[in-house]
Amino acid sequence: MAVLKVSLSPQAYRGKKWVDWCPGCGNFGILVAESQAFAELGLDPRRVVVVSGIGCSSRMPDFLNVEGVHTLHGRAIPYAMGIKLADPSLEVVVNGGDGDLLGIGVGHFVSAGRYNVDMTIILHNNGVYGLTKGQASPTLPRNVKTKALPKPNIKDALNPIVLALASGYTFVARSYAYDTRHLKEMIKAAIRHRGLALVDVLQPCPTYNDINTKEWYEKRIRKLEDEKWDPVVKDPKEADEKKFRAMEKASEWGDRIYIGIFYQNEHVPTYEERMLSRISNYLELPPAKQAIEVDGYSLTVIDKILEKRRVI
Amino acid sequence: MTVKITWMIGGAQGSGVDTSASIFGNAVARAGYYIYGNREYHSNIKGRHSYFNLTISDVKVHSLSDEVNILATFDAETIFQHFMEAKDYIIYDKTLEGTKISAVQSMEPERAEKIEKLLTSNGYGTTVKDALNYASSRGVKLIPVDYGKIISEVAAELKLPTSVVERTRNLIASAISLRLLGIKLDYLRAALRVFFKNELYVRMNERASEKSYDLVQPVYNLPEIPVNGHRVQLDGNTAVALGKIAGGLRVQTYYPITPAADESTFIEDNEVVDVLDPETKELKKAGILVFQSEDELAAVNMAIGAALTGVRAATATSGPGFSLMAEGIGWAGMNEVPVVITYYMRGAPSTGMPTRGQQGDLLFAVNVSHGEFPRIVIASGDHVEAFWDAIWALNLAERYQTPVIHLVDKFLANSYSIIDESELDYKGKRIIDRGKLMYKEVEDYKRFQFTDDGISPRVPLGYAIMHYSGDEHNEYGIITEESENRIRMYEKRLKKLETADREIPEEQRLKVYGKDSDIAIVTWGSPKGPAIDAMDELASEGINVQVIQVRMFNPYPRNLVRKLLEGKKMVIDLEANYTAQAAQLMKLNAGVEPTHYVLKWNGRPITRTEVKWAIKHILSNPNERRVVLNGGA
Repeated sequence: MAVLKVSLSPQAYRGKKWVDWCPGCGNFGILVAESQAFAELGLDPRRVVVVSGIGCSSRMPDFLNVEGVHTLHGRAIPYAMGIKLADPSLEVVVNGGDGDLLGIGVGHFVSAGRYNVDMTIILHNNGVYGLTKGQASPTLPRNVKTKALPKPNIKDALNPIVLALASGYTFVARSYAYDTRHLKEMIKAAIRHRGLALVDVLQPCPTYNDINTKEWYEKRIRKLEDEKWDPVVKDPKEADEKKFRAMEKASEWGDRIYIGIFYQNEHVPTYEERMLSRISNYLELPPAKQAIEVDGYSLTVIDKILEKRRVI
Repeated sequence: MTVKITWMIGGAQGSGVDTSASIFGNAVARAGYYIYGNREYHSNIKGRHSYFNLTISDVKVHSLSDEVNILATFDAETIFQHFMEAKDYIIYDKTLEGTKISAVQSMEPERAEKIEKLLTSNGYGTTVKDALNYASSRGVKLIPVDYGKIISEVAAELKLPTSVVERTRNLIASAISLRLLGIKLDYLRAALRVFFKNELYVRMNERASEKSYDLVQPVYNLPEIPVNGHRVQLDGNTAVALGKIAGGLRVQTYYPITPAADESTFIEDNEVVDVLDPETKELKKAGILVFQSEDELAAVNMAIGAALTGVRAATATSGPGFSLMAEGIGWAGMNEVPVVITYYMRGAPSTGMPTRGQQGDLLFAVNVSHGEFPRIVIASGDHVEAFWDAIWALNLAERYQTPVIHLVDKFLANSYSIIDESELDYKGKRIIDRGKLMYKEVEDYKRFQFTDDGISPRVPLGYAIMHYSGDEHNEYGIITEESENRIRMYEKRLKKLETADREIPEEQRLKVYGKDSDIAIVTWGSPKGPAIDAMDELASEGINVQVIQVRMFNPYPRNLVRKLLEGKKMVIDLEANYTAQAAQLMKLNAGVEPTHYVLKWNGRPITRTEVKWAIKHILSNPNERRVVLNGGA
């Protein structure tokens, strides 16, 4: 994560705009927890970039007083990576829905695991496409009929935690939108993590998901920390075993649904660290920090490259 | 008298045709000659026919010819494919004389049938010898070579297996060609060292060349031409890459696609660049981030994300990738992000002919993505232009804060020229324009501030709190659907195109070649090369034409086009597509319609021989409004 430097109240990270989510929407909990996490980490609002896709949850940047980049449906991750790799000193946090990140954007979600760019993805997971009026999302289980569906869902659900682990994410956690204290801690840990972090946030949609409601979740949610779950890979040799156990634990989706950090492995080099083997001063002088001209005169000299192409 | 000699080498893909053509060209260039050469190949890695056609000249040359002075071959297919183009010499493997067309399995059946018919209808059989005899009856001299013997001698001498030395066939043909031209073998030796890092390969090719060089006597006797300064050998991909590097590009994203990927891999190969420290004036190292992404959606959107940090960012692609990038380009337009997309047009639609060329995507580029926003579109016509245009594209993007599409076609990407290094010299020139970019912290920053020219002061992420959104937004970038704001913000974005139209001199947006004439060829992209070379050759035959090359399609140089074409007897549109797309834009923007069209869409480059023929054909058949070219194997 980037450098700590300011001391501001959570309110200072909130935007001025009226928040136009449905009353009772889980996004409110995420907004509160996210701004609290930024405040407690002391992040400079000008150094935090919240990147989102399209959907209800992706309106998040408008409600925050930090750098906000509201992008295309499914493409928040590539935008975020472009920003982070051009200027690694920025703290980059992606917010997107389950339709956005796991439907239209699933290719980027999976590929991101191979790169391990040091950034955080907060998945607003409510099982439905809210902004288009409640169609089934990739996390809605088969045979479930939420209220806007004309017929029960005919497709299987994917498990974001298992998918992230299989893809190579080095920090994988789950939380619950209405437990803002827990969620805030998860977001803080994710931002602090060196590498790509996912926080899968279970989130009721009071308007379109009448199955996975607040009551439904609160009956089932259990905390990993209460079971003395140790997510941290201390020795690279135990990485696979911890990963498989995390997958197993995260797959429980019945009477018990676990929240907390499932897996964390900081032994995998970040993409930024891997770049050092190519460009030794990449972190001191990343692309965005380079001067390229003075008064219009280019500072880049291509003589040596041209020399190799010389015939005379 | 100007020298123009055309040389062609062909062979199966994977047999080193491309490398040997580059080595040969490099050697010839060392004697002081200019070269323009182009590679034609199948969408295949090994086995299909590929060939390299190049013209050697004492003056700058920008095109190919269908009349091949020396045809260098070492397989049967090249003879069948090209013997009709040979004019002076065919170098061939004499052990292949008995091979029949029907035995050449790599040849496409439609093509084999056509050649068989040509031979039999002229009273010949269908073997290599028959094709050679036919060529011979048309005045071509034959040079049989015992490749096998040379190879086994080299193998014995260097104690190498013949299977390894087999790969010198192309260099044997090249060395013989060089001798015919009367150019020193030493130049070939020097060129070998440029292309082969492995000493064994250098040695083996050197020995094979030495053994074949003396098999013939010099014929063309090209004298050495003294040259002032340095010359470089550049293909289109490399020219664009160098322009981007010189122009301050620091992030390049891409997904592998023909014929664009070589640009990105070249930048990656040179990712650590020399940068002048403005204070100490010493050279320091700085890095360019080249990212091969999971798809073109990621490529364009990563580049746009990077551009938000103030870095110069670009991507390079071809048609299928550009189709995927459409939505991202719209986001960049809506959010006024400077991003450059280098667009290498190839045979389309769909996967089309991936390794063949075409100029079929102009209207797509000009209209890419839904909705109305400024898209600046420029097109390069030769390798030197490709270098400078890559810099220009980066400047336009930052000055007007909008996506810029730089069109290059496959014919430029995979061809090379010998260029005077002075033509690429930017020392002492103000080549970088960053527009209204500021590196300073700003309070209450309005990223989309309304201004008279539509362009807002821009600061990178990290310097002020700002918001971006693909939804309609206010001056702060916060989403709003309020109607008055919609009118003003919409107008602000589009006003930038009017600003660009006002600021960029129309003379910079097109080039005029030749003296005033009542016949004008209007063209764009790589066909400009054959057009201007044909123009010179036609002039020596007493036919005067003028060539007008359009270099920017949005904003279009409408006033100048109208002025230049007013009162012309003939306006001949020349482009490599079916629907005359540049002519459509000319009519739309300048209200001028061509009197004639010369079009080609078989995926092969337009040659100067074809242009000359087409102009003469139109002059003697003025009622024929549309001439279709079909040259090239």
